[in-house]
Amino acid sequence: MRRRFAVLVALAVVCAGAELVAGRGLSPATAWDVLTGGGDATERHILFQLRIPRMLVALGAGAGLAVAGLVLQSALRNPLAGPEVTGVTPGAVLGAVTATALGLAGWESPLAVVVAACAGGCAGALLLWLLAGSTGGDPARTAVHGVLVSAVLGGFTAMVLLVEPGELGSVVQWLVGTTEGRVWEHWHLLWPWALLWGAAAWLLTGPLTLLRCGDDTARAAGLSVHRARALALLCAVALTAGAVAAVGALGFVGLLVPHLAVAVFGADLRSALPGAAVLGAVVVCGADAAAQLSSRLLADTLDAGRLTLPVGAVTACLGAALLLVVVRRAPDRTY
Amino acid sequence: MSAASLCALCLGTPVVPPHHLLGAVLDGEATLAGIVVTELRAPRLVLAITAGACLGAAGLVLQEALRNPLAVPEMLGVSSGAALGVAAPLVLALSLPAAAQPLLALGGAVLGGGLTLLAAGLGRSPSAVLLNGAAVAAALQAALLVLMVMADQLDLQLIYRYLLGSLSARTWDDVAGVWPWLLVAAPALVLCAPVLSVMRLGDADAEALGVRAQRARLAALAIAVVLIAPVTAVCGPVAWVGFLAPHVARWFSPGAGAVRWLVWSAAWGAVVVAVADVPARLALAPVETPAGAWTALLGVPAGVALMRTRRRSRTTGGGGAVRVPSAGPRTPETAETTDRAPGGARSPSSLDITGAEGAR
Repeated sequence: MRRRFAVLVALAVVCAGAELVAGRGLSPATAWDVLTGGGDATERHILFQLRIPRMLVALGAGAGLAVAGLVLQSALRNPLAGPEVTGVTPGAVLGAVTATALGLAGWESPLAVVVAACAGGCAGALLLWLLAGSTGGDPARTAVHGVLVSAVLGGFTAMVLLVEPGELGSVVQWLVGTTEGRVWEHWHLLWPWALLWGAAAWLLTGPLTLLRCGDDTARAAGLSVHRARALALLCAVALTAGAVAAVGALGFVGLLVPHLAVAVFGADLRSALPGAAVLGAVVVCGADAAAQLSSRLLADTLDAGRLTLPVGAVTACLGAALLLVVVRRAPDRTY
Repeated sequence: MSAASLCALCLGTPVVPPHHLLGAVLDGEATLAGIVVTELRAPRLVLAITAGACLGAAGLVLQEALRNPLAVPEMLGVSSGAALGVAAPLVLALSLPAAAQPLLALGGAVLGGGLTLLAAGLGRSPSAVLLNGAAVAAALQAALLVLMVMADQLDLQLIYRYLLGSLSARTWDDVAGVWPWLLVAAPALVLCAPVLSVMRLGDADAEALGVRAQRARLAALAIAVVLIAPVTAVCGPVAWVGFLAPHVARWFSPGAGAVRWLVWSAAWGAVVVAVADVPARLALAPVETPAGAWTALLGVPAGVALMRTRRRSRTTGGGGAVRVPSAGPRTPETAETTDRAPGGARSPSSLDITGAEGAR
C-alpha cells in the first residue's frame, strides 16, 4: 500500500512538472532556469504568476472532485453517483452562471463566483434532498432523482443563458471545465476550503465504509445511518462546489477516478480516500498538461493561432475511453 | 392534445380565433391569417407531434430493451453527433452549399448512433450497453465543447439554441425530410414490439423463449437510432421527452404490456412536445424560447410528481433492488429486495436503477 502511494505521489510530481513546462512561451530549460533563480522578469512572471497557480489549482480541483465522488458513491451505494449526476455540479454551474449574468460576479472577482457556485451546489443538493429525503435515503431513488434534478438545473442554466446571451462565451468555459487563466487568487480561495472539507471527509471514512456495506449492516453496527449519510453528502457537496467554482464542470473526474482508486487501493476508505485524492490530482494535472501540449501541436499543424483545448474536453474523452475499456473487461457485470 | 393543437394554431400574432380557423385554412394564401396558419403554425405543429411521438417511442424502446428507466435517447450519442454535424461547418468556417446543411446534421446523428451501435456490440449485459452509449455520447460531447470554445459569439448562440431543441421557423420542407425515415422506422417498431415484452423478462428467460437477447437488443438500439436521428437533425434534441413519455404511459396504464405502452408513449411524447411548444412560442414573445428548455423545466418535475404519486398509491413502495458494485462488499441483495416488496410483488414498471432482474 505504501509503495502504491509512493508511486502515485511520484506520478503527481511528474504531472506537475509536465504541467509547468507544457504551455506556450517557456521551454523546459528556461523553466528550470527560472526555478533555480535565473531568468528575466517576463519569464519569472509567467512561471510564478501564471503557471504555478494554474498547476496548483488543477491539482487541488482534481483531488476535491475525486474525493467528493468517492464519498458520494459510498454514501449512496451507487457506482454511478458522481457529482455530475447528483445535482451538485449542475447546481454549482447554475450558481456561477446566474451570478455572472446578474452582474454580481465577474471574472475580476473570483470570490463572488466561488460563493455563488457553493450556494448553487448546495441548492442542487438541497433540492435532491427534499425530493429524495422522504423516501428514507433509498440509494436507487436518490440516484434517479439526482439525474432529474441535474436535468432541471441544466434547464435553468439554459434559460439564464437565453436571457443573457452575451454571457455565453465566457460561460461555455464553465460548462466544459478549464484551467485557463487561473491565478493565485483562485488558489488562495480553493485550498482552505478543500483542506477543510477533505479533513471532514477523512473523519467520515469509518462511517462511510460501514455505509458501503448496506444500511442494515451499518445500523446493526450501531451507526446512525441517516445522520452519517447527510454529513457525507454535505461534505461531498462542499468539495464539489469548491472545485467547480475554481475550474468549472470537469467531466468524468468525480465519476471515474473513485472507481480507479477503489481498484488500486481496495475498498477500505481509509486508504482509498487519500488515494482518490492523489489520483484525481494526477488525472486532472496530467490531462491539463496533455491538453496544452496537444493544443500546441494542433496549432502548429493546423496553423490556427487561437486554438486551445480545454482540460474538460480531455478528461471527458479519457473518461469515455476508460468507460469503454472497463465495460469491455467486465461485460457481464451489473452497474 | 386537441386543446394544445388548437392553442398552437390560434395563438400568437395575429391571433386567429377558433371559429375563424377553418376559414383561414380554406383561404390559404389569400389572407395574412391563412398564410400564418398554413405555412407557419401547421407545419410546426405537425413537426412537434412527429418529433414527440418519435422521441417517446424511442424512449420506451430503449428503456424496455435495456431494462433501465434511465435509458434516455440523450444517452445514445445521436444528439451529440447531430449537433457536431451542425457545429463543425459553422465554427471551422467551411463554405457549403445550402442544400447540404440538413444532411450534415443527419449525417452527424447517424454517425453518432452508428458509433454507439459499434461500441454496444462490445457489451453483453444491458447495463454494459448503456454505459457504452454514455461513453460515446460523452466523447462526442467533448468534441462539441471544443468546437464551442473555439466558436465566436454568434455561432455559439446558434449552436446553443440548436442544442436545446427548438422548433422555431420550421417549414413543410423540414417535415418532408422526416417522413421517409418514419416509413422505415414504423414497420420495424411494429415488428419489434412483441420482442420487447419478452425482453423485459430478463436475458436468460428471453433466450429460453427463443429470443436472441443480444441481437434483439442491438436491433432495438438501431430502431431507436433511426427514430431519433431525423428528429434530432431537424429540431435538435428536445430534452427529456424520451424519458418522460414512457413513464407517463406506464403510469396511466400500469397493467398493459410493452406493445400498448409503445403506442401510449408515442402519443404522450407528441402531447408533451406540442404542449411545450406553446409556451416556447409565447412566453417571452416576440422572442422565442427553445421548446427543449420548456420540456426540461416543466416535464421533469412532472415526471417526479408522477413517480411520487405512483409510489404513494402503492403501499409496498415498489421494488428497489440496487445492484451495488462488485468493487464494494457484496450484500445479500435478494434478501433486501424481498424485504422491500413483500410477497415478491415486484411491479415490472417499478423504478430500479440497474433494472437487471438478476439474470445472472
